[in-house]
Amino acid sequence: MGKPDLISFVGVEGVAVTSAAHNRSSRHPLSRRQLVLRGAAAAAGITAGGAVGLLRNSATALAATPSTEQDRKIFNFALVLEYLQAAFYAEALRQGRLTGEVRHFAEVVAEHERAHVEYLRKALGAQARERPRFDFGDATRDEKSFLKAAVTLENTGVVAYNGQAANLTKPALAAAAEIVSVEGRHAAWVSDLAGQAPAPRAADVGQSAAEVLATLQSTRFLQST
Amino acid sequence: MSDPVSTLEQFDVDGALRETAAAAFPLTRGELFRLSATAAAAGALGYFGASVEEADAAAAKTENDIAILRFDQTLEYLQAGLYTEAERLGALKPATLGWARIVGAHERAHLRAIENLLGDKALKNPGFDYGGVTSDESAFLKTAVAFEDLTAALLKWQAPRLDSRAIVAAAVSLHSVETRHAAWIRHLVGLEPATTAFDKPASQHKMAQLISSTHFLVARPKVAAKTKPRYTG
Repeated sequence: MGKPDLISFVGVEGVAVTSAAHNRSSRHPLSRRQLVLRGAAAAAGITAGGAVGLLRNSATALAATPSTEQDRKIFNFALVLEYLQAAFYAEALRQGRLTGEVRHFAEVVAEHERAHVEYLRKALGAQARERPRFDFGDATRDEKSFLKAAVTLENTGVVAYNGQAANLTKPALAAAAEIVSVEGRHAAWVSDLAGQAPAPRAADVGQSAAEVLATLQSTRFLQST
Repeated sequence: MSDPVSTLEQFDVDGALRETAAAAFPLTRGELFRLSATAAAAGALGYFGASVEEADAAAAKTENDIAILRFDQTLEYLQAGLYTEAERLGALKPATLGWARIVGAHERAHLRAIENLLGDKALKNPGFDYGGVTSDESAFLKTAVAFEDLTAALLKWQAPRLDSRAIVAAAVSLHSVETRHAAWIRHLVGLEPATTAFDKPASQHKMAQLISSTHFLVARPKVAAKTKPRYTG
């Protein structure tokens, strides 16, 4: 199984950090101080709580001020998740191994995720990233594996959108809120079906894009950009 | 797989944001380590209280944000009271009580978080009379579905109207939990948990109408009346 190129997958400023980090010992080594700065900033940004912790010290810490350019990056990031979810449910339905309410869930949610993909693609226009390739392995061929993966994907969708909410412009936030709301419903529904707590915490604290991508990487569903 | 730290650095879609943050903080190394330790603790807790207390310290609250938070506080008083009373009376079916117990705890946590955000701007509990809804299975379920669906819609309406980005980050972390509550209670009663690809917002006016229709908000709660001076004329 090929390792997905998540660096180009992310495709935004993270690339600059990445290439610098990869070349630590080569032509342009970062100073120890620069590395400490970056490591601390990355660690502090892991959760919304961390971002807010930074905000205590300066209003600029949450992120760059919201802008339509930043909206585009965030929507393209969300589009990866939506592509992944839409493809996952579509394949699970094609495999035909789901039964009863689990099948009904997949049918309903597949439709929603397709609509989210269409919405984001339309909003992004020519800037929309292409659909990556996925490999879902047994997760779409076995009901138990399907439920496990669906819980992960839906919960990840929720914290991914929540983590970016404060970085969006107001119109983009309004749109994202309509989508994450439905992801939260999916998450609760599929958790209930899987015998897990539908609402395990009092707050769905947002996660950074880095943390979200680490979760996606751990599923091994991502094959290529 | 590579170690978590390098993974976070590599797949850093917020790179620009963090670069900005790092550049904006010419802090000493010690201060940065303390910051990252605080952040790690907040992440490990994974609990709303942590992020909201941070937000509290950070947020310069506008009158607009205070008004929105006060509306939410009143709503959380109503919901927390409703579910907590249902749990205390114990007259509902076990599955419904199980839902009320967990969701009641969430709403109480939300209430504390909003109180922390509001600080001295927080409101007192206005007092509610649930009129038997908390011990009537059918009435309780109907009320809970209505409040959870509309609370989720309300928070969607409020989110882009908030001024403080710290409060936005906190509010959305509550919003999705309300959508979970809504989907869960709908599933419990046999309704479709997610009926549309996009959930539409609903205004504070709509929520005020729902609250008014329940007559839960009593004009003169007994508790408050006791503290008022008596005028015998």
